[in-house]
Amino acid sequence: MPPVRNSNFNSLPPHSRRRFLQVAAAATSGVMLSNCARALLNNASGGTTVQSDGRAGSGNQTLRIYTWANYTDDELLSNFKDRTGIQVIADTYDSNETMLAKVQAGGGKDYSIIYPSDYMVDQMSGQGLLSLLDRSKLDGINQLMDKWQNPAYDKNNAHSIPAVWGTTGLIFNPDVIQAEVKGWDYIWDNTEDLTRQITMISDVREVLGATLQYLGYSINSTDPAQIKEAYEKLLEIKPAIASFVTNGWEDQLAGGDLMISMAYSQDAISLIAEKPELQYIVPESGSSLWTDTMVIPKTAPNSEAAYAWLNFMLEPENAARLVERLKISTPNAAAFDKLPPKLQQNENLFPSKAVLAKCEGIVPVKEEISNLYDQFWTRLTSS
Amino acid sequence: MSQTVIQQDVAETDTMFDVELRKVFKVYNGETAVRNIDLNIRQGEFFSILGPSGCGKTTTLRMIAGFEEPTGGEVLIRGQSMANVPPYKRPVNTVFQSYALFGHMSVWDNVAFGLRLKDCPKSELQQRVGESLELVKMDSLARRFPAQLSGGQQQRVALARALVNRPTVVLLDEPLGALDLKLRKEMQLELTTLHRDLGVTFVMVTHDQEEALSLSDRIAVMNIGKIEQIGTPTEIYEQPCTAFIADFIGDTNLMPAELATLQGETVEATTRSGLKIWVKPQALFKENPTREVLVSIRPEKIQLGSTDSSEIANRYDGTLKHVMYLGNHTHYQVELPSGDVITVFQTNRSSEQLKPGMPIQIYWSASDSLALPV
Amino acid sequence: MTLTSPNPNLAEPAIPGWQRTLRKLLQPVILLGPSGLWLLLLLVFPTLLILELSLIPGARLGNPPGPYGIGNYIEIFKPVYLQVIWRSLYFALGTTLFCLLLGFPVAYWIALKAPSRWRNLLLVGFILPLWTSSLLRAYAWITILRPSGLLNSLLGFFGLPGQEWLNRTPAVFIGMTYSYLPYMVLILYASLEKLDRRLLEAASDLGATQQQSFWRVTVPQTMPGIAAGGLLVLIATLGDFAVPELLGGASSMTVSRLIYNQFLGATRNWGLGSSISMILILGVSISIALLLKYGDRDAI
Repeated sequence: MPPVRNSNFNSLPPHSRRRFLQVAAAATSGVMLSNCARALLNNASGGTTVQSDGRAGSGNQTLRIYTWANYTDDELLSNFKDRTGIQVIADTYDSNETMLAKVQAGGGKDYSIIYPSDYMVDQMSGQGLLSLLDRSKLDGINQLMDKWQNPAYDKNNAHSIPAVWGTTGLIFNPDVIQAEVKGWDYIWDNTEDLTRQITMISDVREVLGATLQYLGYSINSTDPAQIKEAYEKLLEIKPAIASFVTNGWEDQLAGGDLMISMAYSQDAISLIAEKPELQYIVPESGSSLWTDTMVIPKTAPNSEAAYAWLNFMLEPENAARLVERLKISTPNAAAFDKLPPKLQQNENLFPSKAVLAKCEGIVPVKEEISNLYDQFWTRLTSS
Repeated sequence: MSQTVIQQDVAETDTMFDVELRKVFKVYNGETAVRNIDLNIRQGEFFSILGPSGCGKTTTLRMIAGFEEPTGGEVLIRGQSMANVPPYKRPVNTVFQSYALFGHMSVWDNVAFGLRLKDCPKSELQQRVGESLELVKMDSLARRFPAQLSGGQQQRVALARALVNRPTVVLLDEPLGALDLKLRKEMQLELTTLHRDLGVTFVMVTHDQEEALSLSDRIAVMNIGKIEQIGTPTEIYEQPCTAFIADFIGDTNLMPAELATLQGETVEATTRSGLKIWVKPQALFKENPTREVLVSIRPEKIQLGSTDSSEIANRYDGTLKHVMYLGNHTHYQVELPSGDVITVFQTNRSSEQLKPGMPIQIYWSASDSLALPV
Repeated sequence: MTLTSPNPNLAEPAIPGWQRTLRKLLQPVILLGPSGLWLLLLLVFPTLLILELSLIPGARLGNPPGPYGIGNYIEIFKPVYLQVIWRSLYFALGTTLFCLLLGFPVAYWIALKAPSRWRNLLLVGFILPLWTSSLLRAYAWITILRPSGLLNSLLGFFGLPGQEWLNRTPAVFIGMTYSYLPYMVLILYASLEKLDRRLLEAASDLGATQQQSFWRVTVPQTMPGIAAGGLLVLIATLGDFAVPELLGGASSMTVSRLIYNQFLGATRNWGLGSSISMILILGVSISIALLLKYGDRDAI
């Protein structure tokens, strides 16, 4: 779900700058690779027309993957090469939309593996960009946790294999706040004392979604009345919101200038590893549950190597290593079993079933509703 | 060159001076630009400071205007010391060398600039600006911008801009330097007319000796930071005090020579080549005879041909070496048996043509040969 | 060409006439070709593309494009978007004004008052901050302005009340002014340095005090520089959403961020994003045209 995720909070989050570049890159790549605006728009479905299946399985010993920064490292790649003899080249992106724009514009033809987030899988498969996975070529798919056996974003994992997941919640310093924070109530109840002391993720669906859940609605509500109600509810705590940032709150929270930050679990866990006095919670009213997956685009030049990669990542040892390294949750039950107890019992990584039950994945909504969300967001951030 | 400054103002204590410079010194970064200048400029005078570039004449003008403060000495305007008086408080206005018109203002606004600063009432401002522009014949172009004007027109605007303020003294820094010859002659005439009609003191800096001679009531000739001579154009031309002036203003035949003893009014000088010339020494030499001199004879004072007059002390036979025909007059170069080459200017009264190689006689009177300090 | 060889017949005796004509025809192509191609590819073409996109209401990546129309432009007039545009203009104009007010004295001093051998050093010193990323600078301001930051520590030390500027408009102005001040100073310096000092002398000669000279001569004479610097800062600040977003808090939506959201946000409404871009491009072009016209009249 997160449009931007950066597990390394210590480096001054470069996301905004990168976004800046992304715009330029997306704009230019879009321009260079298509003939006119209409073709550009059409290219989305037209991506399928540029198939190069002929090249697949031709014994090409290179695999190009397009993934989030940090999701691969040299050790992983060299292990894979030792095992399969396939050389992996990994390119990274930091927002699903950037990745989509590139793939749609035809710039993703070199990639045999891509790591879209849940809602993006839905969107990409809807546009016919993803190949149906051949179950017979996959081992260990049955080891996935129940919640990921048949996810809402991709029925029966037809196009995608879940790789990692996390939640969205609140991080704060209990010693400073001196109250028991269990969820969003705390902010609505203490708005006046929190003036410009909380931050929220810079994402319309996360912020309005959390409010919808707080109001008892679905995070994926498509009822304009409910969305409006959530917007108005949010306005009540606007004075408490210092800013909408996905990263960049860390130092100020640790330094006590901020009381509470809404954050992705992965960012929160990374920070807590350094500042153990901080606490992360999934709000009582529930939160978003996001999954990053692995898919094989229809244009994959080397699907054989892609399957090899999927199988390699499904292996419990490799999936477990990912958890240890990225401090991120795995949907692989067998991998969970291999984790040290300390990680297994980490509720931030693996919330209880009761908490998980209240978590929902964000799924794409219809255009009009999406526009509505965006307009409320624009209003919220400009009033 | 020795310090032979002839101060002709000394006696005129009752005359009102508009500008006085007293022992003015100016040092820039350790280099002396102006040394010890004394200068008195009379009311209503057209005064020129003439000299080659780098002689300190512009610095002198800028000290009068107030753009530079003298390192030593004093500048007075109408008897008032100008020490620590900024330019905008001095009763002088400058016409700049490159006119320095304000490009973002119309001609009218340029001329009105000074009056507006003085909060001149509107009706008076209109009248005075109009008059000034009329005076320089620019009234029809008042709405134009400087970039739309020719050099001569800009010059006129610069003049109007200075004159409209009715300054005590108008300072002109090489005012005609950027104009072509014909326009310059025309503007020279207009400058004299303006000066005569307005009766304001003009102080002009120029390196053009002809301009200085034709326009000025008096001229100060400057060289390497010093004033060498102050006098009327005739004095400066006819009785230069130094060889520099004789050479810088007009043309001259300059020959180093040694003086014999005075015989009556005249004295015989012998050049290094052995040529003997009868010279009429100036008063200074009578009192303080120096033997080493430079003999200066203006080329136009020398006649070609023979003469019987006993007044003429200097007569020589020679050979015509070069003839340069210049329309209204001709330049001749005559080589004397001593090897000296003498330049002679003759107006072309007859169409008689002299050819190089012809033997020729030249003569001039003793009073036309000046003995100048080395 | 004609200046260096006034008589082409003498300079190139062996070349027949038709070859010379060909050469004359080819010369602009050769000289302008590369940059022309560059401009065409990276400026003209993308702009046309955006123009076309802006005329397809609700154009979205992946949707079959609908019929042409001006719906996207009508959409902009919704109060919610007008407010964003107004806020951006407010940020941009305010920053431009602050840059001008702070930059002019600095440029004036460096160009006209500082010893000439120090000028380059002073300029370099002044543009030194440009060598770091603007993001880093914004984060530095967060460190300074945050409630427990350097500013409030200093104010506290002197017994002054702390200021809550971070995440509010003052922080946006501080951060953006800091970011764009060097550009303003550079442009103003270039303009002031060219200022003909004889004009100042002339003004002084005509009775103007230093202050009067400044307002009646220096400022009008450097107006093209002021306009150019102002326009540059205005355009740059209109396009900057990083600094407002980092420093401006919860209400810092700007036009450029809005455009970004339309292209790469959740709605991916490329049509609306394009129409807002076109309005922005149009606005900027008009200002530049005005500047050129204004600047021309002032050229001396």
